[in-house]
Amino acid sequence: MTLPAGVHAVTYTQDQALIRTPKQWLCFFGFLILLLALPLFGGGKIIGIMNVMGIMMIGVVGLQITIGYAGQTNLGQSAFMGVGAYVCGALALQFNLPLWLNIALGGVSAALFGAIFGLAAARIKGFYMALTTIAAQYIFSFVMIKLPKGWFGQAEGLRLEPASLLGWTFDTDLGMYYLIFVVALIMIYGAWGLARSRSGRAFVAVRDNDNAAEIIGINVYYYKALAFFIGAFYAGVSGGLWAYYIRYIQADQFTLWLSVWYVGMLIVGGLGSILGAIIGTVVIRILQEFITYIGPQLAEIFPHVGGQVVFASMNMLLGGIIILFMIFEPRGLVHRWNIIKESYRIWPFPH
Amino acid sequence: MVNFLTYIINGALTGLLYALVALGFVIIYRSSRVFNFAQGEFVVVGAFLVFSFLSVLDLPLWLSLILSFGISIVVGLAIERIVLRPLVGEELFSLVMVTIGLLIFIRGGVLVIWGAEVRFFPVVLPMEAIRIGPLVLDRALVIGGGITILVAMLTSWFFNHTRLGVEMTAVAEDHQIALSLGLSVKRSLAIAWAVSGVLSTMAAIIFLNGKGMTFLASDIGFAALPVPLLAGLESIGGLLLAGLIVGLSIGIASYFLDPIFQGGVMTVFPFVIMVIILLIRPSGLFGWKTIERV
Repeated sequence: MTLPAGVHAVTYTQDQALIRTPKQWLCFFGFLILLLALPLFGGGKIIGIMNVMGIMMIGVVGLQITIGYAGQTNLGQSAFMGVGAYVCGALALQFNLPLWLNIALGGVSAALFGAIFGLAAARIKGFYMALTTIAAQYIFSFVMIKLPKGWFGQAEGLRLEPASLLGWTFDTDLGMYYLIFVVALIMIYGAWGLARSRSGRAFVAVRDNDNAAEIIGINVYYYKALAFFIGAFYAGVSGGLWAYYIRYIQADQFTLWLSVWYVGMLIVGGLGSILGAIIGTVVIRILQEFITYIGPQLAEIFPHVGGQVVFASMNMLLGGIIILFMIFEPRGLVHRWNIIKESYRIWPFPH
Repeated sequence: MVNFLTYIINGALTGLLYALVALGFVIIYRSSRVFNFAQGEFVVVGAFLVFSFLSVLDLPLWLSLILSFGISIVVGLAIERIVLRPLVGEELFSLVMVTIGLLIFIRGGVLVIWGAEVRFFPVVLPMEAIRIGPLVLDRALVIGGGITILVAMLTSWFFNHTRLGVEMTAVAEDHQIALSLGLSVKRSLAIAWAVSGVLSTMAAIIFLNGKGMTFLASDIGFAALPVPLLAGLESIGGLLLAGLIVGLSIGIASYFLDPIFQGGVMTVFPFVIMVIILLIRPSGLFGWKTIERV
């Protein structure tokens, strides 16, 4: 990663800064202000889309840590999200704890659930890991429906009151937008920091060659389990936000299918980069919304598919995209973005 | 007591069915090291092919079966040619991730072609139940069990005693080394995907014979996973034993646990077994001991 010409670090603090040049600060704040001001000129529909996007983004960023950084295949992210949502919802209904604590506890319980399945990583690796997470998915939906009714409401699920914090009540899409915005900002910042920390580097070492990692003194079991713990924590937080946003939780919302979509978002965005997770989520969500939007026209072209046409064409599109990306652009959109950035910096020279 | 016996025998037969689904999975794994997440979708494609020829186009049984098997071979080969071949020599990770893309794509394709409503799968195997004393057995499953045993033994012989089979095994060991020895990774992949397509269609016929089906029948692809895992992912002969063990434990578990949990144990128990196997003996009963362990 090269820096713009003429930018040199003189102190260690400067060397470690994420944002280095005045222009970058300008872009960063401009982007934040744009996001904050979006409700002023976007309609309610856009806010709704952004909310779901923000919630999913947190989950996908977590998945990026597990899959992209630590290399542990995880097809259970939506089950972990579900655990977070259920725990957060049950706490809100029964104990009346403050909002931030609910979401954090939802995240922690999801993280513990994830770590249980991540512990299998102590014995196996590679795609065997994917199997335990698929199992997590099925066990999750079975357990949530069979537990006593007082806990998670069995098949009927849970219904929540709007979230409130410091006298504010987040009962509209707009209120939730700012809540999700703040939480997502914190979580993404955390992920960025984590990726550059000792743990993040250890994850990458374990992913690239676990024997070598062990030899240079990295506790491989610990970091594998930690990768699951952190990834599932992100899923839990996103589940908690989901619970407060939809205000109705049911096991059917957290399917294996959703987890597969999350992995698809990662592949499209690019594995091994936080920015990739963000780009992937945004691009795939926009595509999804686009297909939902043109759904009625699609239904005319394929009348026999009926109401499932949106789901069907979305799957064909995403499946096709994943296959094409794996074949032609295995490093995802973020790789393309980096190339563009690089060429802009060194322009007019070719390299 | 009779009830208990029925649970056990049906469990064992279901286990053999799982073994047949798993066989398609193992053949791909065993000849290319690719973990095919889309196996369940193969079963659904096979099912809908048979359904289209037999129920929609009203062709005679033998012709529909030949056409269905033929098309599933073509589908398998097409997937290999279009999706997997460009990735030969890439990291295994890409090869496996691409099957996730396939899983999503095929499901969408099945929905676009055949729609989402419940269809009735034609009766291919005789429907009337087999009665032995007070026991009532599903005839399709019994015949299917026989077919599974036969096919598994044939495939096992093929992989262990023919030149081609051993070459395919070598490809699974290491793509690079196989290539440098002059073995064709492409051919190995192509054969594996074609055979896997045929086996999935067979499994579909046995599984869905005379029942209602939707695209969601593909869940069997995941439910069958404990069987190859218990056998050890490379072992074909072991699949039969593993299928029986898994099937029996599912049968016994549903007999004792269903009353406690008000049903549904059968859908989740395979996954419980899967986690237990992974924690205790990840290389399975007969797997190669080279399984990458940390």
